[in-house]
Amino acid sequence: MTGFLQAVAYGLLQGGLLALVAVGFSLVWGVMNVVNLSHGAFVVLGAYVGLLVNQRLGLDPFLGMFVAAVALFALGYVVQRFVINLVVNGPIFITLLLTFGLELLLTQGMNIAFTANYQGIQTTYAGTSFAVAGVQIPVGRLLAFVLSVVVTVALVAVMNRTRVGMSIMATGMDRGAARLMGIRARHVYALTFGIAAGLAGMAGTMIGMVGTFNPASAGGFTLLSFVIAVLGGLGNMYGALAGGMLIGLVQALGGYFLSGTWVNALAFLVLILVLMFRPSGLVGKAFYSARLEV
Amino acid sequence: MNTRVLFVSVVTVGALALTACGSKGEAGPSAGSGDTLTLGASVSLTGKLAREGTLTQEGYKLCVEKVNAKGGVKVGGKTLKLAVSYQDDTSKPDTAAQLVDQFNDQGIKLILGSYGSANTEAQAAVIERNNQVMVDSSGADDKIFAKGYKRTFAVLSPASEYAASIVKALADLASPKPTSVAFLSADDGFSKTAADGGVAAAKAAGFTVTGPELFPNGATDVSSALNKVKGSAPDVIIGSVHLAEGVAIVKQVKELGLKPKAIGETVAPPTPDFVTTLGAAADGVLGSSQWTKAVSGKDDYFGDASAYDADIQKAFGHAAGYHNAEASAACLALVLATEKAGSTDPTAVRDALAALDVTTFFGRVKFDATGKNVTKPMVVIQIQGGKAVTVWPKDMAEGSLVWPALGS
Repeated sequence: MTGFLQAVAYGLLQGGLLALVAVGFSLVWGVMNVVNLSHGAFVVLGAYVGLLVNQRLGLDPFLGMFVAAVALFALGYVVQRFVINLVVNGPIFITLLLTFGLELLLTQGMNIAFTANYQGIQTTYAGTSFAVAGVQIPVGRLLAFVLSVVVTVALVAVMNRTRVGMSIMATGMDRGAARLMGIRARHVYALTFGIAAGLAGMAGTMIGMVGTFNPASAGGFTLLSFVIAVLGGLGNMYGALAGGMLIGLVQALGGYFLSGTWVNALAFLVLILVLMFRPSGLVGKAFYSARLEV
Repeated sequence: MNTRVLFVSVVTVGALALTACGSKGEAGPSAGSGDTLTLGASVSLTGKLAREGTLTQEGYKLCVEKVNAKGGVKVGGKTLKLAVSYQDDTSKPDTAAQLVDQFNDQGIKLILGSYGSANTEAQAAVIERNNQVMVDSSGADDKIFAKGYKRTFAVLSPASEYAASIVKALADLASPKPTSVAFLSADDGFSKTAADGGVAAAKAAGFTVTGPELFPNGATDVSSALNKVKGSAPDVIIGSVHLAEGVAIVKQVKELGLKPKAIGETVAPPTPDFVTTLGAAADGVLGSSQWTKAVSGKDDYFGDASAYDADIQKAFGHAAGYHNAEASAACLALVLATEKAGSTDPTAVRDALAALDVTTFFGRVKFDATGKNVTKPMVVIQIQGGKAVTVWPKDMAEGSLVWPALGS
């Protein structure tokens, strides 16, 4: 029984972190209808930024993640404004191709800049743990989990309460009407992409703290983001949190009851099941079904 | 707007096409052209094996440098300069196999292996069909040698020795002797073969055995597998892993509050990243290695193991790892066999390889009927103060085993 509870605890903690990885991906897909295949590369790049400021300036990952967030926000803004925006109205295949190309460039760029060596951000506390009723709770993962939940709640608040958030939502729902209200769609799109990249950067720093990464990890993060975003409902931020936790649990319990590579197939099995019974995701209505394409 | 969309898509497709072409490279020179002997090597320079692939290429490069510094390869009265035509296989077995075919089309018959068992296994089949000959530097899975191939030779110890050597070292050195061992393994052919070899050795040595518990290859979260062995509170946890899973085991053993006396891992601990990624947590971890600079034996090209280490340090700015050494040894074996054959004809070289028995900086190289090098022992290292110290076999030991290996 303790083993089972331990797996559940680990799964939930891991799931929270995965949610932070995926929430930006989901936002961009929901608002802009762009499936950003370079999202995983942003996550890994964020991990490298966190590692660099940790090694050079001695910044703790929980401070370093803000540096990563700002750096990635800037990169995301520029990439959207000057590259992806050129094709944002094109068929989805073109944006797929473009972001796939970006992913190749970023991953290979990181290979050259940082080598393919595995890296991890070392802290004195992340590897320690404490026991609650016989279940070990690792400190680093717990902190990362708390951060994910806080960031997701804050993001929802920003989206619903602030002018910037509301213009993002408005542009996502009906770009034509939003423009008529004086919203600059190009700027809003770039902001959205920047926020997504910034969140990816934060998530990357956390991943660097609790695990290991190298440039080749990028593809795996994109794939997980895809599954979680679809599970949760595109553009739905609480949905991403729920989707992340579900995938984390499924992987942990799958690993506990099954053996080896079966675990990888399970995440997709869950995706199929959820889509069969709740086609627009776990949490309510999919955001983009409210979209009016003009 | 439409022209802009078109323009960007054309540029994107163009960039993709360039990337694809880049990985194939340009056509190299054909084999025996003039005074040069060209070997073919598909190496994993990009993709998930990029790190190990780069180390392999370094080993091949140093070999070329050393052989040419001695004048070259003496074949039947002529001295040929050694060259290697490198192609990037992007860590994919299919591509690695195709590249062997491409080398064959260019007339290159003598091949150096790519990195890892999956790539090598795919290549070995093509080598056999094309009547080429390959010296394998890093494909250790015993499966490669169970198919009756006659043209693939591996300088390294087979996979079944990887975990078994750690078990033997503990049975030999640890006092008080541990009683139970739990095995964890990545879910791929090589790792499972290694774990099975370890289980057999542990049972033979009288340990109580749990596992192997499997997790996906490349996993950075191995908590489920650890969770499953936690109940039996094993004295020793042995992981048959690669670097990412190896790092995860050490981190998560601590996170999950397991208290083994030692952790042993194949492949991961001797690589420099292991210590840089884990820091102080790496201390005490045991690992098996194909080669360390404590290995005895020398040859005319590289000298002994510590001279080899110094040469790698000079050329590439890092200490020599076994990935470097096994690549250089493979290249050396192919060169020595070609000289002995007195011909670059692949069948003559194959026969010379089958009869080869030499001592090198890598240890003794002698192949059995299936092409495995069974004469060379694996060495066992322990991370002590951030350094990999050879502790077994006793005649090569640089230091003694710290036991219990993990503090608490």
